[in-house]
Amino acid sequence: MEQAIFFQALRENLRLRRFLPWIVLGVLLVFGFGHLWSTFQPDASLEQRYGTVSSILVFHILALTSAILTSTILSQEIEQKTIVYLVTRPVPRWKLLLFRYLACGLVVSFLGGFNAVCASVGVYGSLGAGASLAKDIAAIVVGAFAYGAFFMFLGLLFNRAMIMCLLFAFGWETMVPNMPGQMCYLSINSYLQAIAQHPSQGGNKGLGLLTSTAGDNTLTSSVGYMAMIGFAVALVALSAWWFSTFEYLPREDAE
Amino acid sequence: MVVASQVSRWYGQVIGVNDVTCEIGPGITALLGMNGAGKTTLIRLITGQLRPTTGVLTVFGLQPFANPEVYRRMGYCPEIDNFYEHYSGRDFVRYLARLDGMSAAKAASRTDEVIDMVGMTERAGRRIAGYSKGMRQRIKLAQAMLHDPDLILLDEPLNGLDPVGRREFMDLLHGLAENGKGILVSSHILFEVEQMTRSLLLLHRGRLLATGDLGVIRSLIDKHPHQIRIDTDEPRRAAELLASVPNIVSMKFDRSGEALELEVREPAAFYDALSAAILERGLLVRGLSSPDNNLESVFKYLVEA
Repeated sequence: MEQAIFFQALRENLRLRRFLPWIVLGVLLVFGFGHLWSTFQPDASLEQRYGTVSSILVFHILALTSAILTSTILSQEIEQKTIVYLVTRPVPRWKLLLFRYLACGLVVSFLGGFNAVCASVGVYGSLGAGASLAKDIAAIVVGAFAYGAFFMFLGLLFNRAMIMCLLFAFGWETMVPNMPGQMCYLSINSYLQAIAQHPSQGGNKGLGLLTSTAGDNTLTSSVGYMAMIGFAVALVALSAWWFSTFEYLPREDAE
Repeated sequence: MVVASQVSRWYGQVIGVNDVTCEIGPGITALLGMNGAGKTTLIRLITGQLRPTTGVLTVFGLQPFANPEVYRRMGYCPEIDNFYEHYSGRDFVRYLARLDGMSAAKAASRTDEVIDMVGMTERAGRRIAGYSKGMRQRIKLAQAMLHDPDLILLDEPLNGLDPVGRREFMDLLHGLAENGKGILVSSHILFEVEQMTRSLLLLHRGRLLATGDLGVIRSLIDKHPHQIRIDTDEPRRAAELLASVPNIVSMKFDRSGEALELEVREPAAFYDALSAAILERGLLVRGLSSPDNNLESVFKYLVEA
Protein backbone atom coordinates (compact mmCIF):
# COMPACT_ATOMS: atom_id res chain seq x y z
CA MET A 1 0.00 0.00 0.00
CA GLU A 2 2.77 2.42 1.02
CA GLN A 3 4.77 1.38 -2.03
CA ALA A 4 1.79 2.03 -4.28
CA ILE A 5 1.28 5.54 -2.89
CA PHE A 6 4.98 6.34 -3.16
CA PHE A 7 5.48 5.03 -6.68
CA GLN A 8 2.25 6.53 -8.00
CA ALA A 9 3.35 9.94 -6.72
CA LEU A 10 6.81 9.39 -8.18
CA ARG A 11 5.30 8.39 -11.51
CA GLU A 12 3.12 11.52 -11.50
CA ASN A 13 6.08 13.79 -10.84
CA LEU A 14 8.27 12.06 -13.40
CA ARG A 15 5.76 12.48 -16.21
CA LEU A 16 7.64 13.96 -19.14
CA ARG A 17 5.42 17.04 -19.37
CA ARG A 18 6.08 17.81 -15.74
CA PHE A 19 9.69 16.80 -15.44
CA LEU A 20 11.26 17.86 -18.73
CA PRO A 21 10.86 21.65 -18.31
CA TRP A 22 12.95 21.51 -15.12
CA ILE A 23 15.71 19.57 -16.86
CA VAL A 24 15.68 22.04 -19.76
CA LEU A 25 15.77 24.93 -17.27
CA GLY A 26 18.77 23.37 -15.53
CA VAL A 27 20.70 22.84 -18.73
CA LEU A 28 19.93 26.15 -20.38
CA LEU A 29 19.81 28.53 -17.44
CA VAL A 30 22.08 27.09 -14.74
CA PHE A 31 24.72 25.61 -17.04
CA GLY A 32 24.61 28.65 -19.35
CA PHE A 33 24.75 31.13 -16.48
CA GLY A 34 27.59 29.19 -14.83
CA HIS A 35 29.51 29.14 -18.07
CA LEU A 36 29.07 32.89 -18.64
CA TRP A 37 29.65 33.97 -15.03
CA SER A 38 33.45 34.27 -15.54
CA THR A 39 32.66 37.30 -17.70
CA PHE A 40 30.99 39.08 -14.77
CA GLN A 41 33.41 37.97 -12.03
CA PRO A 42 36.74 37.49 -13.85
CA ASP A 43 38.93 37.88 -10.76
CA ALA A 44 37.07 35.39 -8.57
CA SER A 45 38.28 31.84 -8.00
CA LEU A 46 36.36 28.96 -9.55
CA GLU A 47 35.08 27.99 -6.09
CA GLN A 48 33.78 31.52 -5.52
CA ARG A 49 32.14 31.61 -8.93
CA TYR A 50 30.50 28.24 -8.32
CA GLY A 51 29.26 29.41 -4.91
CA THR A 52 27.77 32.54 -6.44
CA VAL A 53 26.02 30.72 -9.27
CA SER A 54 24.74 28.10 -6.85
CA SER A 55 23.41 30.73 -4.41
CA ILE A 56 21.78 32.85 -7.11
CA LEU A 57 20.24 30.10 -9.20
CA VAL A 58 20.39 26.61 -7.73
CA PHE A 59 18.96 27.51 -4.31
CA HIS A 60 16.29 29.82 -5.70
CA ILE A 61 15.24 27.30 -8.32
CA LEU A 62 15.06 24.72 -5.55
CA ALA A 63 12.47 26.83 -3.71
CA LEU A 64 10.58 27.39 -6.96
CA THR A 65 10.58 23.69 -7.92
CA SER A 66 9.41 22.73 -4.47
CA ALA A 67 6.66 25.38 -4.50
CA ILE A 68 5.29 24.09 -7.79
CA LEU A 69 5.62 20.35 -7.19
CA THR A 70 4.96 20.03 -3.47
CA SER A 71 2.14 22.50 -2.97
CA THR A 72 0.05 20.30 -5.30
CA ILE A 73 0.62 17.07 -3.35
CA LEU A 74 -3.05 17.06 -2.35
CA SER A 75 -4.48 20.35 -3.60
CA GLN A 76 -4.37 19.09 -7.18
CA GLU A 77 -6.38 16.02 -6.16
CA ILE A 78 -8.85 18.28 -4.38
CA GLU A 79 -9.23 20.60 -7.36
CA GLN A 80 -9.54 17.70 -9.79
CA LYS A 81 -11.93 16.01 -7.33
CA THR A 82 -9.99 12.73 -7.46
CA ILE A 83 -9.38 13.14 -3.71
CA VAL A 84 -12.66 11.23 -3.27
CA TYR A 85 -11.05 7.99 -4.48
CA LEU A 86 -8.19 8.37 -2.03
CA VAL A 87 -10.01 9.32 1.16
CA THR A 88 -12.54 6.51 0.84
CA ARG A 89 -9.93 3.71 0.66
CA PRO A 90 -8.78 1.72 3.70
CA VAL A 91 -5.53 3.62 3.95
CA PRO A 92 -4.82 5.99 6.85
CA ARG A 93 -4.76 9.57 5.62
CA TRP A 94 -1.38 10.27 7.17
CA LYS A 95 0.16 7.53 5.05
CA LEU A 96 -1.28 9.06 1.90
CA LEU A 97 0.28 12.36 2.80
CA LEU A 98 3.63 11.07 4.04
CA PHE A 99 4.47 8.83 1.10
CA ARG A 100 3.41 11.43 -1.44
CA TYR A 101 5.58 13.95 0.37
CA LEU A 102 8.56 11.59 0.34
CA ALA A 103 8.17 10.94 -3.40
CA CYS A 104 7.88 14.64 -4.10
CA GLY A 105 10.88 15.43 -1.89
CA LEU A 106 12.93 12.85 -3.76
CA VAL A 107 12.06 14.37 -7.16
CA VAL A 108 12.77 17.93 -5.96
CA SER A 109 16.09 16.73 -4.48
CA PHE A 110 17.02 15.09 -7.76
CA LEU A 111 16.18 18.22 -9.76
CA GLY A 112 18.09 20.42 -7.29
CA GLY A 113 21.07 18.07 -7.44
CA PHE A 114 20.92 18.10 -11.22
CA ASN A 115 21.01 21.91 -11.19
CA ALA A 116 24.02 21.88 -8.85
CA VAL A 117 25.79 19.52 -11.24
CA CYS A 118 24.88 21.82 -14.16
CA ALA A 119 26.34 24.77 -12.22
CA SER A 120 29.53 22.82 -11.52
CA VAL A 121 29.91 21.77 -15.15
CA GLY A 122 29.12 25.30 -16.29
CA VAL A 123 31.75 26.89 -14.02
CA TYR A 124 34.48 24.22 -13.92
CA GLY A 125 33.76 22.44 -17.18
CA SER A 126 33.51 19.26 -15.08
CA LEU A 127 32.34 18.04 -11.65
CA GLY A 128 35.34 19.91 -10.27
CA ALA A 129 33.29 21.68 -7.58
CA GLY A 130 34.05 18.56 -5.47
CA ALA A 131 33.52 19.27 -1.78
CA SER A 132 31.40 22.38 -2.48
CA LEU A 133 29.15 20.31 -4.74
CA ALA A 134 28.81 17.62 -2.09
CA LYS A 135 27.84 20.21 0.55
CA ASP A 136 25.42 21.80 -1.88
CA ILE A 137 23.75 18.47 -2.61
CA ALA A 138 23.37 17.82 1.12
CA ALA A 139 21.83 21.28 1.57
CA ILE A 140 19.56 20.69 -1.44
CA VAL A 141 18.24 17.39 -0.08
CA VAL A 142 17.55 18.96 3.32
CA GLY A 143 16.07 22.02 1.60
CA ALA A 144 13.83 19.94 -0.68
CA PHE A 145 12.24 18.24 2.32
CA ALA A 146 12.06 21.43 4.41
CA TYR A 147 10.48 23.50 1.64
CA GLY A 148 8.28 20.53 0.76
CA ALA A 149 6.94 20.23 4.29
CA PHE A 150 6.15 23.94 4.43
CA PHE A 151 4.50 24.10 1.01
CA MET A 152 2.55 20.93 1.63
CA PHE A 153 1.15 22.42 4.83
CA LEU A 154 0.18 25.62 3.00
CA GLY A 155 -1.48 23.46 0.34
CA LEU A 156 -3.61 21.84 3.04
CA LEU A 157 -4.57 25.15 4.60
CA PHE A 158 -5.45 27.31 1.63
CA ASN A 159 -7.19 27.13 -1.71
CA ARG A 160 -4.84 27.94 -4.56
CA ALA A 161 -1.88 27.78 -2.23
CA MET A 162 0.57 27.74 -5.11
CA ILE A 163 0.35 31.53 -5.44
CA MET A 164 1.34 31.90 -1.80
CA CYS A 165 4.11 29.34 -2.20
CA LEU A 166 5.50 31.16 -5.25
CA LEU A 167 5.39 34.48 -3.40
CA PHE A 168 7.26 32.85 -0.56
CA ALA A 169 9.83 31.26 -2.88
CA PHE A 170 10.45 34.43 -4.89
CA GLY A 171 9.76 37.20 -2.39
CA TRP A 172 10.34 36.03 1.14
CA GLU A 173 13.26 33.75 0.35
CA THR A 174 14.99 36.47 -1.65
CA MET A 175 14.46 39.39 0.71
CA VAL A 176 14.39 38.04 4.25
CA PRO A 177 17.89 36.46 4.22
CA ASN A 178 19.25 39.91 3.35
CA MET A 179 17.59 41.63 6.29
CA PRO A 180 19.66 42.84 9.21
CA GLY A 181 19.66 41.40 12.72
CA GLN A 182 17.86 38.15 13.51
CA MET A 183 15.32 38.46 10.70
CA CYS A 184 17.37 36.30 8.35
CA TYR A 185 16.70 33.29 10.59
CA LEU A 186 13.08 33.37 9.45
CA SER A 187 14.14 32.16 6.02
CA ILE A 188 14.80 28.56 5.03
CA ASN A 189 17.41 29.79 2.58
CA SER A 190 19.57 31.14 5.43
CA TYR A 191 19.80 27.66 6.96
CA LEU A 192 20.59 26.10 3.60
CA GLN A 193 23.33 28.67 3.05
CA ALA A 194 24.70 27.73 6.47
CA ILE A 195 24.81 24.07 5.42
CA ALA A 196 26.34 24.84 2.01
CA GLN A 197 28.99 27.22 3.45
CA HIS A 198 29.57 29.05 0.17
CA PRO A 199 32.57 31.41 0.13
CA SER A 200 31.73 34.93 1.33
CA GLN A 201 31.08 37.65 -1.25
CA GLY A 202 33.42 39.95 0.67
CA GLY A 203 32.37 43.54 0.56
CA ASN A 204 30.40 43.21 -2.68
CA LYS A 205 26.96 44.35 -1.45
CA GLY A 206 25.30 43.79 -4.85
CA LEU A 207 26.38 40.18 -5.04
CA GLY A 208 25.48 39.72 -1.39
CA LEU A 209 21.91 40.77 -2.17
CA LEU A 210 21.74 38.63 -5.30
CA THR A 211 22.96 35.55 -3.48
CA SER A 212 20.70 36.27 -0.47
CA THR A 213 23.70 36.33 1.87
CA ALA A 214 23.72 40.03 2.79
CA GLY A 215 22.11 39.47 6.20
CA ASP A 216 23.86 38.81 9.51
CA ASN A 217 23.76 35.06 9.12
CA THR A 218 26.13 33.45 11.63
CA LEU A 219 24.55 30.00 11.67
CA THR A 220 26.82 26.98 11.63
CA SER A 221 26.34 23.99 9.37
CA SER A 222 25.20 21.69 12.18
CA VAL A 223 22.62 24.22 13.41
CA GLY A 224 21.37 24.45 9.81
CA TYR A 225 20.91 20.68 9.61
CA MET A 226 19.19 20.38 12.97
CA ALA A 227 16.90 23.34 12.43
CA MET A 228 15.78 22.19 8.97
CA ILE A 229 15.28 18.55 9.92
CA GLY A 230 13.30 19.60 13.00
CA PHE A 231 11.27 22.05 10.94
CA ALA A 232 10.44 19.43 8.29
CA VAL A 233 9.51 16.73 10.81
CA ALA A 234 7.32 19.12 12.81
CA LEU A 235 5.48 20.39 9.73
CA VAL A 236 4.96 16.92 8.27
CA ALA A 237 3.51 15.76 11.60
CA LEU A 238 1.26 18.83 11.74
CA SER A 239 0.15 18.29 8.14
CA ALA A 240 -0.60 14.62 8.82
CA TRP A 241 -2.71 15.53 11.85
CA TRP A 242 -4.47 18.28 9.91
CA PHE A 243 -5.29 16.06 6.95
CA SER A 244 -6.53 13.27 9.23
CA THR A 245 -8.72 15.62 11.24
CA PHE A 246 -10.37 17.94 8.75
CA GLU A 247 -12.77 17.38 5.86
CA TYR A 248 -11.41 17.41 2.35
CA LEU A 249 -14.02 17.74 -0.33
CA PRO A 250 -13.75 18.61 -4.00
CA ARG A 251 -13.03 22.35 -3.99
CA GLU A 252 -16.19 23.97 -5.33
CA ASP A 253 -18.40 21.68 -3.24
CA ALA A 254 -16.71 22.89 -0.11
CA GLU A 255 -17.03 26.57 -0.94
CA MET B 1 -25.10 -1.69 8.30
CA VAL B 2 -25.80 2.05 8.44
CA VAL B 3 -27.60 3.70 11.34
CA ALA B 4 -28.31 7.43 11.29
CA SER B 5 -29.86 9.09 14.29
CA GLN B 6 -31.09 12.67 14.00
CA VAL B 7 -28.26 13.52 11.66
CA SER B 8 -27.98 17.07 10.36
CA ARG B 9 -25.25 18.64 8.30
CA TRP B 10 -24.86 22.34 7.69
CA TYR B 11 -22.62 24.06 5.14
CA GLY B 12 -22.33 27.45 6.81
CA GLN B 13 -25.83 28.91 6.54
CA VAL B 14 -27.08 26.21 4.19
CA ILE B 15 -28.46 22.93 5.42
CA GLY B 16 -27.49 19.79 3.54
CA VAL B 17 -29.43 17.17 5.47
CA ASN B 18 -31.82 17.92 8.29
CA ASP B 19 -32.57 15.62 11.21
CA VAL B 20 -32.36 12.38 9.27
CA THR B 21 -33.00 9.14 11.12
CA CYS B 22 -32.84 5.89 9.19
CA GLU B 23 -31.29 2.44 8.93
CA ILE B 24 -29.89 0.77 5.85
CA GLY B 25 -29.42 -2.99 5.77
CA PRO B 26 -28.64 -5.70 3.23
CA GLY B 27 -30.30 -5.59 -0.19
CA ILE B 28 -30.81 -2.66 -2.52
CA THR B 29 -32.06 0.59 -1.02
CA ALA B 30 -32.76 3.59 -3.21
CA LEU B 31 -32.05 7.10 -2.04
CA LEU B 32 -34.46 9.17 -4.02
CA GLY B 33 -34.68 12.92 -4.23
CA MET B 34 -34.56 15.83 -6.60
CA ASN B 35 -31.34 17.63 -7.36
CA GLY B 36 -30.23 19.46 -4.22
CA ALA B 37 -32.33 17.27 -1.92
CA GLY B 38 -29.28 16.20 0.11
CA LYS B 39 -28.59 12.77 -1.40
CA THR B 40 -24.91 13.40 -2.02
CA THR B 41 -24.47 14.97 1.41
CA LEU B 42 -26.01 11.92 3.06
CA ILE B 43 -23.76 9.62 1.02
CA ARG B 44 -20.73 11.71 1.96
CA LEU B 45 -21.69 11.42 5.61
CA ILE B 46 -21.97 7.65 5.27
CA THR B 47 -18.66 7.42 3.40
CA GLY B 48 -16.96 9.51 6.09
CA GLN B 49 -15.97 12.39 3.85
CA LEU B 50 -18.06 14.65 6.07
CA ARG B 51 -18.90 14.68 9.73
CA PRO B 52 -22.46 15.31 10.90
CA THR B 53 -22.97 18.74 12.46
CA THR B 54 -25.40 17.15 14.91
CA GLY B 55 -26.61 13.60 15.45
CA VAL B 56 -24.84 10.28 15.22
CA LEU B 57 -24.14 8.20 12.16
CA THR B 58 -22.47 4.79 12.34
CA VAL B 59 -21.48 2.29 9.68
CA PHE B 60 -20.94 -1.29 10.88
CA GLY B 61 -21.15 0.22 14.38
CA LEU B 62 -18.22 2.60 13.77
CA GLN B 63 -17.87 6.31 13.11
CA PRO B 64 -17.02 6.46 9.41
CA PHE B 65 -14.98 9.69 9.20
CA ALA B 66 -11.47 8.86 7.92
CA ASN B 67 -11.87 5.36 9.34
CA PRO B 68 -9.96 2.68 7.38
CA GLU B 69 -11.85 -0.07 9.25
CA VAL B 70 -15.08 1.15 7.66
CA TYR B 71 -13.52 1.57 4.21
CA ARG B 72 -12.31 -2.03 4.29
CA ARG B 73 -15.97 -3.09 4.13
CA MET B 74 -17.37 -0.25 2.03
CA GLY B 75 -17.17 0.53 -1.69
CA TYR B 76 -18.08 3.91 -3.09
CA CYS B 77 -18.93 4.95 -6.62
CA PRO B 78 -19.02 8.77 -6.54
CA GLU B 79 -21.15 10.99 -8.73
CA ILE B 80 -18.15 12.96 -9.99
CA ASP B 81 -16.83 12.23 -13.45
CA ASN B 82 -13.17 12.90 -12.65
CA PHE B 83 -10.27 10.49 -12.98
CA TYR B 84 -6.55 10.45 -13.60
CA GLU B 85 -7.27 11.06 -17.25
CA HIS B 86 -3.85 9.95 -18.50
CA TYR B 87 -4.24 6.53 -16.85
CA SER B 88 -5.84 3.60 -18.59
CA GLY B 89 -8.97 2.23 -16.95
CA ARG B 90 -7.03 -0.85 -15.89
CA ASP B 91 -4.17 1.18 -14.35
CA PHE B 92 -6.63 3.35 -12.47
CA VAL B 93 -8.49 0.39 -10.96
CA ARG B 94 -5.24 -1.46 -10.23
CA TYR B 95 -3.83 1.56 -8.38
CA LEU B 96 -6.94 1.73 -6.19
CA ALA B 97 -6.69 -2.04 -5.62
CA ARG B 98 -3.18 -1.46 -4.28
CA LEU B 99 -4.58 1.22 -1.96
CA ASP B 100 -7.04 -1.39 -0.74
CA GLY B 101 -4.01 -3.26 0.57
CA MET B 102 -3.74 -5.92 -2.13
CA SER B 103 -0.35 -7.22 -3.25
CA ALA B 104 0.70 -6.33 -6.81
CA ALA B 105 -0.25 -9.79 -8.12
CA LYS B 106 -3.58 -9.89 -6.28
CA ALA B 107 -4.38 -6.35 -7.41
CA ALA B 108 -3.72 -7.28 -11.04
CA SER B 109 -5.95 -10.38 -10.95
CA ARG B 110 -8.75 -8.71 -8.98
CA THR B 111 -8.64 -5.73 -11.35
CA ASP B 112 -9.15 -8.04 -14.32
CA GLU B 113 -12.07 -9.72 -12.51
CA VAL B 114 -13.99 -6.54 -11.71
CA ILE B 115 -13.27 -5.02 -15.10
CA ASP B 116 -14.76 -8.14 -16.63
CA MET B 117 -17.78 -7.89 -14.32
CA VAL B 118 -18.56 -4.41 -15.64
CA GLY B 119 -17.97 -5.43 -19.25
CA MET B 120 -14.86 -3.30 -19.85
CA THR B 121 -12.27 -5.98 -20.60
CA GLU B 122 -11.83 -4.98 -24.23
CA ARG B 123 -11.47 -1.27 -23.48
CA ALA B 124 -9.66 -1.23 -20.14
CA GLY B 125 -6.28 -0.66 -21.76
CA ARG B 126 -7.31 2.65 -23.32
CA ARG B 127 -6.68 6.01 -21.69
CA ILE B 128 -9.60 7.21 -19.56
CA ALA B 129 -9.47 10.59 -21.33
CA GLY B 130 -10.98 8.88 -24.39
CA TYR B 131 -13.78 7.09 -22.53
CA SER B 132 -17.47 7.79 -23.05
CA LYS B 133 -19.64 8.67 -20.06
CA GLY B 134 -20.94 5.10 -19.89
CA MET B 135 -17.43 3.63 -19.88
CA ARG B 136 -16.44 6.00 -17.09
CA GLN B 137 -19.44 4.88 -15.05
CA ARG B 138 -18.41 1.27 -15.49
CA ILE B 139 -14.85 1.97 -14.35
CA LYS B 140 -16.18 3.81 -11.31
CA LEU B 141 -18.37 0.85 -10.49
CA ALA B 142 -15.44 -1.54 -10.96
CA GLN B 143 -13.30 0.32 -8.44
CA ALA B 144 -16.17 0.29 -5.92
CA MET B 145 -16.36 -3.52 -6.07
CA LEU B 146 -12.62 -4.18 -5.90
CA HIS B 147 -12.32 -5.36 -2.32
CA ASP B 148 -15.63 -7.25 -2.34
CA PRO B 149 -17.21 -4.82 0.15
CA ASP B 150 -20.27 -5.62 2.28
CA LEU B 151 -21.76 -2.20 1.59
CA ILE B 152 -21.65 -0.39 -1.76
CA LEU B 153 -22.76 3.21 -2.18
CA LEU B 154 -23.56 4.37 -5.68
CA ASP B 155 -24.22 8.04 -6.31
CA GLU B 156 -26.32 8.49 -9.46
CA PRO B 157 -24.71 5.43 -11.07
CA LEU B 158 -27.02 5.18 -14.07
CA ASN B 159 -26.16 8.61 -15.48
CA GLY B 160 -24.76 8.19 -18.97
CA LEU B 161 -25.44 4.48 -19.30
CA ASP B 162 -27.26 3.29 -22.41
CA PRO B 163 -30.32 1.03 -22.02
CA VAL B 164 -28.29 -2.16 -22.42
CA GLY B 165 -25.74 -0.88 -19.92
CA ARG B 166 -28.53 -0.05 -17.48
CA ARG B 167 -29.98 -3.52 -17.78
CA GLU B 168 -26.56 -5.14 -17.24
CA PHE B 169 -25.88 -2.80 -14.35
CA MET B 170 -29.17 -3.60 -12.65
CA ASP B 171 -28.60 -7.33 -13.10
CA LEU B 172 -25.19 -6.92 -11.51
CA LEU B 173 -26.69 -5.05 -8.55
CA HIS B 174 -29.37 -7.69 -8.07
CA GLY B 175 -26.68 -10.37 -8.11
CA LEU B 176 -24.70 -8.55 -5.44
CA ALA B 177 -27.79 -7.97 -3.32
CA GLU B 178 -28.70 -11.65 -3.53
CA ASN B 179 -25.28 -12.40 -2.07
CA GLY B 180 -26.17 -10.37 1.02
CA LYS B 181 -24.47 -7.11 0.11
CA GLY B 182 -25.99 -3.81 1.16
CA ILE B 183 -26.36 -1.44 -1.75
CA LEU B 184 -27.44 2.18 -1.54
CA VAL B 185 -28.24 3.77 -4.88
CA SER B 186 -29.05 7.44 -5.19
CA SER B 187 -31.15 8.73 -8.03
CA HIS B 188 -33.52 11.53 -8.91
CA ILE B 189 -35.48 9.42 -11.39
CA LEU B 190 -38.40 7.51 -9.91
CA PHE B 191 -38.79 5.22 -12.92
CA GLU B 192 -35.14 4.21 -12.70
CA VAL B 193 -35.44 3.34 -9.04
CA GLU B 194 -38.64 1.36 -9.46
CA GLN B 195 -36.76 -1.06 -11.70
CA MET B 196 -34.11 -1.68 -9.07
CA THR B 197 -35.78 -1.97 -5.71
CA ARG B 198 -38.90 -1.58 -3.61
CA SER B 199 -37.00 -0.19 -0.64
CA LEU B 200 -36.80 3.59 -0.55
CA LEU B 201 -35.45 6.55 1.33
CA LEU B 202 -37.12 9.68 0.02
CA LEU B 203 -35.26 12.93 0.65
CA HIS B 204 -36.72 16.36 0.05
CA ARG B 205 -34.94 19.61 0.91
CA GLY B 206 -32.62 17.80 3.26
CA ARG B 207 -35.38 16.03 5.16
CA LEU B 208 -36.23 12.36 5.02
CA LEU B 209 -39.80 12.52 3.74
CA ALA B 210 -40.60 8.83 3.59
CA THR B 211 -38.94 5.47 4.09
CA GLY B 212 -39.99 1.96 3.39
CA ASP B 213 -41.65 0.11 0.56
CA LEU B 214 -42.10 1.81 -2.76
CA GLY B 215 -45.53 0.18 -3.08
CA VAL B 216 -46.82 2.12 -0.08
CA ILE B 217 -45.61 5.36 -1.56
CA ARG B 218 -46.97 4.39 -4.96
CA SER B 219 -50.41 3.66 -3.53
CA LEU B 220 -50.38 7.00 -1.75
CA ILE B 221 -49.64 8.63 -5.07
CA ASP B 222 -52.33 6.58 -6.76
CA LYS B 223 -54.97 8.06 -4.45
CA HIS B 224 -54.49 11.35 -6.30
CA PRO B 225 -56.00 11.69 -9.76
CA HIS B 226 -53.33 11.19 -12.38
CA GLN B 227 -53.24 13.38 -15.43
CA ILE B 228 -53.02 11.43 -18.65
CA ARG B 229 -52.82 12.88 -22.13
CA ILE B 230 -53.64 10.79 -25.19
CA ASP B 231 -52.58 12.18 -28.58
CA THR B 232 -54.86 10.82 -31.25
CA ASP B 233 -56.51 11.82 -34.51
CA GLU B 234 -59.84 10.59 -33.10
CA PRO B 235 -60.18 12.18 -29.65
CA ARG B 236 -63.98 11.95 -29.67
CA ARG B 237 -63.89 8.24 -30.41
CA ALA B 238 -61.26 7.75 -27.71
CA ALA B 239 -63.52 9.55 -25.24
CA GLU B 240 -66.44 7.33 -26.21
CA LEU B 241 -64.41 4.12 -25.82
CA LEU B 242 -62.94 5.13 -22.48
CA ALA B 243 -65.96 6.82 -20.91
CA SER B 244 -67.12 3.63 -19.25
CA VAL B 245 -63.82 2.99 -17.48
CA PRO B 246 -64.30 3.42 -13.72
CA ASN B 247 -62.41 6.02 -11.68
CA ILE B 248 -62.12 8.60 -14.43
CA VAL B 249 -62.53 11.92 -12.64
CA SER B 250 -62.58 14.24 -15.63
CA MET B 251 -62.14 14.18 -19.37
CA LYS B 252 -61.61 17.09 -21.79
CA PHE B 253 -60.39 17.77 -25.30
CA ASP B 254 -57.22 19.67 -25.87
CA ARG B 255 -57.59 23.05 -27.64
CA SER B 256 -56.01 21.74 -30.82
CA GLY B 257 -58.59 18.98 -30.92
CA GLU B 258 -55.92 16.36 -31.38
CA ALA B 259 -55.65 15.10 -27.83
CA LEU B 260 -57.76 13.89 -24.97
CA GLU B 261 -56.80 14.91 -21.43
CA LEU B 262 -58.02 12.85 -18.50
CA GLU B 263 -57.76 12.70 -14.74
CA VAL B 264 -57.78 9.12 -13.46
CA ARG B 265 -57.82 7.70 -9.95
CA GLU B 266 -56.53 4.19 -10.64
CA PRO B 267 -54.09 4.51 -13.50
CA ALA B 268 -53.31 0.78 -13.68
CA ALA B 269 -56.96 -0.08 -14.43
CA PHE B 270 -57.18 2.76 -16.89
CA TYR B 271 -54.08 1.63 -18.82
CA ASP B 272 -55.57 -1.88 -19.11
CA ALA B 273 -58.76 -0.39 -20.58
CA LEU B 274 -56.75 1.79 -22.93
CA SER B 275 -54.75 -1.22 -24.16
CA ALA B 276 -57.99 -3.04 -24.87
CA ALA B 277 -59.37 -0.03 -26.77
CA ILE B 278 -56.27 0.10 -28.91
CA LEU B 279 -55.98 -3.62 -29.56
CA GLU B 280 -59.63 -4.66 -29.80
CA ARG B 281 -61.32 -1.51 -31.11
CA GLY B 282 -58.53 -0.24 -33.32
CA LEU B 283 -58.09 3.15 -31.65
CA LEU B 284 -55.14 4.98 -33.22
CA VAL B 285 -52.90 6.54 -30.56
CA ARG B 286 -49.95 8.73 -31.56
CA GLY B 287 -48.68 9.51 -28.12
CA LEU B 288 -49.33 8.90 -24.44
CA SER B 289 -47.97 10.92 -21.56
CA SER B 290 -48.57 11.42 -17.89
CA PRO B 291 -47.40 14.92 -16.97
CA ASP B 292 -47.53 14.40 -13.21
CA ASN B 293 -45.91 10.97 -13.05
CA ASN B 294 -42.62 12.41 -11.90
CA LEU B 295 -40.74 13.01 -8.71
CA GLU B 296 -41.99 16.54 -8.18
CA SER B 297 -45.54 15.24 -8.14
CA VAL B 298 -44.58 12.50 -5.73
CA PHE B 299 -43.16 15.05 -3.33
CA LYS B 300 -46.19 17.27 -3.77
CA TYR B 301 -48.53 14.41 -2.91
CA LEU B 302 -46.43 13.31 0.03
CA VAL B 303 -46.21 16.80 1.47
CA GLU B 304 -49.97 17.19 1.07
CA ALA B 305 -50.51 13.78 2.67
